[in-house]
Amino acid sequence: MSKGVVLVVDDESPIRDILSFYLKRADYQVLLAENGVRGLEEMGKLQPDLIISDLRMPEMAGDDFCRHVKSNTATKDIYFMLVSALDGSMSKIGGLNIGADDMISKPFHAQEVMAKVDSAFRIIAMQKEIKRQNVVLREFQDRVNNEMELASRLQMGLLPALPGIAPGILYTHRYLPAEGIGGDIYAITPLPDGSTALMIADVSGHGVTAALISSMVKTSFESQLRLSQDPHAWAVGMNQDLSRNTLAEQFATAFLAHLDPATSQMAYVVAGHPAPFMISCSGGGKPEQLSGKGFMLGIDADLPFSSQCAPFNVGDRLVLFTDGLEEVEREDRTYLGEEGLMEFCLDLPADAEDAAMHLVNQVQAYNGPATFSDDVTLVVVDRVN
Amino acid sequence: MLNIQARQEGNAAIVTIQGKVNFEVTAQLRDVIRDTVAQQQPKLLVINLEGVSFIDSSGLGLLVAARNSVDKSSGKLHLCGLPAQVKKTFDQTNLTNYFSIFTTEQDALRGA
Repeated sequence: MSKGVVLVVDDESPIRDILSFYLKRADYQVLLAENGVRGLEEMGKLQPDLIISDLRMPEMAGDDFCRHVKSNTATKDIYFMLVSALDGSMSKIGGLNIGADDMISKPFHAQEVMAKVDSAFRIIAMQKEIKRQNVVLREFQDRVNNEMELASRLQMGLLPALPGIAPGILYTHRYLPAEGIGGDIYAITPLPDGSTALMIADVSGHGVTAALISSMVKTSFESQLRLSQDPHAWAVGMNQDLSRNTLAEQFATAFLAHLDPATSQMAYVVAGHPAPFMISCSGGGKPEQLSGKGFMLGIDADLPFSSQCAPFNVGDRLVLFTDGLEEVEREDRTYLGEEGLMEFCLDLPADAEDAAMHLVNQVQAYNGPATFSDDVTLVVVDRVN
Repeated sequence: MLNIQARQEGNAAIVTIQGKVNFEVTAQLRDVIRDTVAQQQPKLLVINLEGVSFIDSSGLGLLVAARNSVDKSSGKLHLCGLPAQVKKTFDQTNLTNYFSIFTTEQDALRGA
């Protein structure tokens, strides 16, 4: 088997013969042509790995031939050596500028040319290996991207369907994971007695691990709902689940609430999560952050939690979010924070969908042109009859 | 930019962190803390957060993990020098009640 295919293009047959002799002796397969046009014809039959072409030739000279080869995507990677007399017709730099990979000056020693050919083939072999690895990498990347795409769609499927309707509330959400899939999750679940359970959570970290834990959080929440209607009991149970099933540094912040439309009361637990904003009719539409704080879920199975209660009357609005929406730092290092986000909640549109869009747009404009670096979830819940 | 330095003082190991502690740097920080605990097996690990401008949930998770690993070797973890912004994050998550927190590094070393 030959070491590779070399096309020799020269209008002088003695030079073709000499090069052909040495190349064949060194186990290269040789194609011959007397000018660029013939060279291109030869290349149509068999693509060479390397071209050694004279500069001055009739019909198509070496520089034109080189440009042809290097401007065609199918042939541009062929190693091109331009042979030129050092008579001012073309400098070495000039040759490299038109795309040649190497220059050989005339008159030459056949041994010198052979040394250059061997060296070129070492580079060609390396390039082939890099190309092969690139293909493997690209295939791998495509596969990962496809799987991420599937996972992302699956995760979107875990979110409540919109427009959201549950006993006593209408709601909508914006869910913007930083890396296709993320660690944010929320659930709004109607309970058999006509009340509604509500959860928003943010798993530490990003990406696949956080996404896996977020589905664990949702499952844990749903299993708690079968045992109790008390958010405090949910927090204790979910904390035990997560402490047992995740690594020490993995946890979730969460806000858990139980809304009883019959009494317009909402019992809730703040577990290391930014407390939601309540925009109540009685407060004149001014957003206020719900009180309460507590440990996040999953750092220690024995940690205590405390629950609070707040009225949630018809006409009131609850704005739930994960910290990605407020932990936004601009290039000038000004920081949005909960206070800034609360200001954006003044004068929100009446429609929940419009309000969610308005709020995300405001934060994005504040952050712009940068994109969110953390997972962002916003849920707007309107209390209705 | 995150700057982490570890040094030893008697039975105590002191890790000083400066900069923004977020998802991108937790791996680096995790290595330093793990190596410090593994190599020195300190009775007391002090983490000085004086120069920390921001800490996100991954950073908090790392501190929780640090406490766990020190607990396992019957040591203690003391945090000190929490800047206002970081203190706020700790307050919101009740972590002020989970960690032993001191104002200065000297206090943290004495509090053993």
